[in-house]
Amino acid sequence: MKFAFKMGASALALTVAATSAYAEIDEAWWKAAAEPYQGVTIRGVTESSPPSLYIREVLAPEFEALTGIRVDVETTSWDQMFDKAIKDMEASTGIYDMAYIEQDIIYSYLSRNFLTDLTQFLADNPDLKAATYDESNFTTFADYFKDDAGHLYGVPMEAFLKVYLYRTDLFNDPEIQAEFKEKTGRDLVPAKTHAEYAEVAQFFTAYGEENDLDLWGTTAQAHTGHVASWYEYFESVAPTFGVYNWGIDADNNYGASVANGGEMNGPEAVEAMTWWLSMRDIAPPESPASTWTEVGTTFGAGRAAQGLVYGENAGWIAADESKSLVVGKVGVALPPLKDGVMEEVEGGTGYIGYYDGGAFGMPHSSKNKEATALFLQYIGQNEVQPDWAVAAPRVTNTATYDDPKVQEMNEKLSGYYDLIKDRGYLFAGAPAYPFHAQVREATAPIFYQILTGDLGVQEGLDQMAATAESTLTELGYRK
Amino acid sequence: MQSKRLGWILLAPTLVILFFFGVLPFIYVVYVSFHQWNPFAVNPEMVFNGADNFRQIVFDPAFLNSIGVTVMFVFFAVLSELILGYVLAQAFMRDFPGKAIFRTIHTLPLIMAPIIVGSVWKLMTTPSIGIIPKFLDEWFGITMNIGTSAPAAFATVVIMDIWHWTPLVTLTLIAALVSLPPDPFEQAQIDGANKRQIFWHITLPMIAPAVVATVFIRLMDALRTVDEVWMLTGGGPGSATRFVGVHIFKEVFPKTNYGYGSTISVIVLYLTIVVCWLLYVTMLAPRSKKD
Repeated sequence: MKFAFKMGASALALTVAATSAYAEIDEAWWKAAAEPYQGVTIRGVTESSPPSLYIREVLAPEFEALTGIRVDVETTSWDQMFDKAIKDMEASTGIYDMAYIEQDIIYSYLSRNFLTDLTQFLADNPDLKAATYDESNFTTFADYFKDDAGHLYGVPMEAFLKVYLYRTDLFNDPEIQAEFKEKTGRDLVPAKTHAEYAEVAQFFTAYGEENDLDLWGTTAQAHTGHVASWYEYFESVAPTFGVYNWGIDADNNYGASVANGGEMNGPEAVEAMTWWLSMRDIAPPESPASTWTEVGTTFGAGRAAQGLVYGENAGWIAADESKSLVVGKVGVALPPLKDGVMEEVEGGTGYIGYYDGGAFGMPHSSKNKEATALFLQYIGQNEVQPDWAVAAPRVTNTATYDDPKVQEMNEKLSGYYDLIKDRGYLFAGAPAYPFHAQVREATAPIFYQILTGDLGVQEGLDQMAATAESTLTELGYRK
Repeated sequence: MQSKRLGWILLAPTLVILFFFGVLPFIYVVYVSFHQWNPFAVNPEMVFNGADNFRQIVFDPAFLNSIGVTVMFVFFAVLSELILGYVLAQAFMRDFPGKAIFRTIHTLPLIMAPIIVGSVWKLMTTPSIGIIPKFLDEWFGITMNIGTSAPAAFATVVIMDIWHWTPLVTLTLIAALVSLPPDPFEQAQIDGANKRQIFWHITLPMIAPAVVATVFIRLMDALRTVDEVWMLTGGGPGSATRFVGVHIFKEVFPKTNYGYGSTISVIVLYLTIVVCWLLYVTMLAPRSKKD
C-alpha cells in the first residue's frame, strides 16, 4: 500500500511536472530541433515598444544561446514598421522572417494572404513542434489572430487594455475629498459615468489652478495632426457612448452615415465627440500635441488626476521610479460609461474600450520558415512569460496571471492584471476591417478639423461618414 | 578621340547608378500613376485607369491645400534664408572678435539630420515643457500652442527651416563674395556710387549665378520637406502644415494609395521643374543673352 502510494504520488508528481505551466525548457529538444538550421539568421521587424525591446534584448539572445540560430530583431517606429513589413510582404522579397502584427492590421494582412498559417505549418512539420508550446495556453486575445477555421497566424506577444487610471493619492486625500464633497455634493471616487468624470476633471483642473499646481483634471490624447487622437475617439470614447466599430455597419453594406444604417454621424457620436472635446479643453496644454506616448508621460509626470491611458504605459507609470513621479499612487478602473452601455456589452453587443496588442507573425515570403517557427514557439511558451510580463506589463498566456512575480506586479498596478483577467472580455480590439488604415487616413484630416474648430462637430462627423462611405466604395467594399 | 572615350568610361559608373536608381524608378512611378492600385482594396491588383488620377488631382481639395501651404512655406522660408544668409555672409566677410567661433556655431544646424531638428523643435515648442512657449508667456504674455494655433504652427515650421538651412545659404554666398574681383568695386567707389548702387548694379549681378543655384537647391529641398514637419506637427493642426511631401507620404504609406500617390509625385516633380525653369529664365537667361 505504502509502495503503491509512493508510486502513485511519484507518477502524479511527474505528470504535474511534465504538464506544469512552468516546466523546465527541454534544452536537448531545442538543440536537436535547431540542429539543421545552424548558421541561419532570422530577421524580424517590430515597433520599438517595451515588449518588443524585451524580445530583442532578452528572448532573442536566450534563444540564440540555446539553439545557435541567430535572431536579428529590428525595432523601429510604428509607421516605419508597417511600411517595411507591408513592402516586404507585398513584393515577396523575404527580407523579414517575422513581422509584428498589430491587432488592427491582421485583417488587412489576412485578406492579402501575407501570413503563414502557423497552426497548419506546425501540423505539417511535427518535428518542429515543441512540447511546451500550445495554442491553448494563450488568452482569448489570440482569437484575433485566427482565421475562420481557428488557425493561428501570429503568436501573441503583447496585450493591454486602455484603462482608466486615476491618482489614488489625490482621490484618497481627506482634504481634497472634503472640498470635492462640498463643491459637488458627492464622494470623490473614480467616475462611472461621463458626467461624473467631467465633474472630477473640472474639479481637479480648478484645484490645480487655485493652488498653483501643474495639475489638470484629465488627460487627452488629442494630437491635431496624428492619428492617435482619431484612435482615442473611435476606440476609447465613442464605444463608451454606444458607438461601436467606428460607427460603420459591416452587415449593412458598410454604411457609415445614419442615412445608410451607420452611426458615425449619429446623435451618440455627436454626444461622444462633444464630451471628449470638452475634456480636451480642460486637459493639460500639451494635449493637442499628445499621442499615446505623451499621454503616458503627462500622467507619469503627475500632471493629470485621471485619464484613459494605454496599458503598456501603466507599468512604468505605476512602478518605475526612474521615469514616473506617481509610483504607488495609481489606481485602475473601468472607463466611464453612458447608461445602458454596460448592459449592451454584457449582453454581447459592443465593447467598452480598446483591447490593444499584437503578435509576431511569419510572412508568407519568409525564407527561413522552420527556424522562425522554432523562435515563435519559444516566445509563446508559458515558461518565458512571467519575467516578460513584469518587464513590460502584458499578458498573453493564461498561466501568467498566477505567477508570483506577476501577482506582485499586479499589486503595484492596483489590480491591473486582475482587470485584464476578469474584465478583459468587456474590451475589444479593432473591428475586423481589411481597410482599417485606408478609412482612418481618409477621415483623419476631417477629424483634425473638428479638433481645431474649423468644422463643427455635427458637420465634421457628417463629412467623415460621407468620406468613409466614398472611400469604401472606391476600395470596392461598399457596393 | 581617346580623351572622349576616357571621359565616358569615367562617367559610366555614375550614369549606370543614375539610370537604375533614378531614371528607372521614375519611369515606374509614371507607369503606376496611370493606375488605380491599393493593395488592400477588394481588387488588390493594378488597374489601368488612364488619366483618371490626373483628373482627380485637379479637384482634390486636400492636394490643392497642400500645394497652397507648400508654396507659402517655400516663399517665406527661402526668401528669409536668402536675405538672412546674405546679411550673415557680408558679416563674415568682415573681421570682428569671436568671428571663428560664431561661424562654427552658426554652421552647426547644417550637420543635424532633419528628424533630429524636428525633435529638438518639438521639445522647444511643446506647451508646458518647451522653452519657447514658456518665455513667450513670461516675457510677453503670449500663449503659444502649435497644437491648436495654425498660424503659430506654420510660423514655427518656417522659423525651424530658416534656423536649419540659412547656414547653407551663408556658406555658398560667402564663397561667391570671396571670389568677386575687387576692381569693379574700386572703380564704382571712385565714380561715387553709393552702397545701394554698388549692391544692385555690381554685387548682385555678379553673384546671381550663385544665388540662383542656392535658390534652386533650397527650393527643391523645401518642396520635399517631410521629416522635420512630420516630427514637429505631423501636418497639423488640421492641415495647416500638411505640405505636399507630408501629403504624399500619408497618401502612399499609411493609406497605401499607390496609384494616386504616384500621380501626385509626378505632378509635384513637374511643378518643381517648371518653377526652377521660370527662375532660370527670369534671373539667368537675360544675363546669358547680354554676355
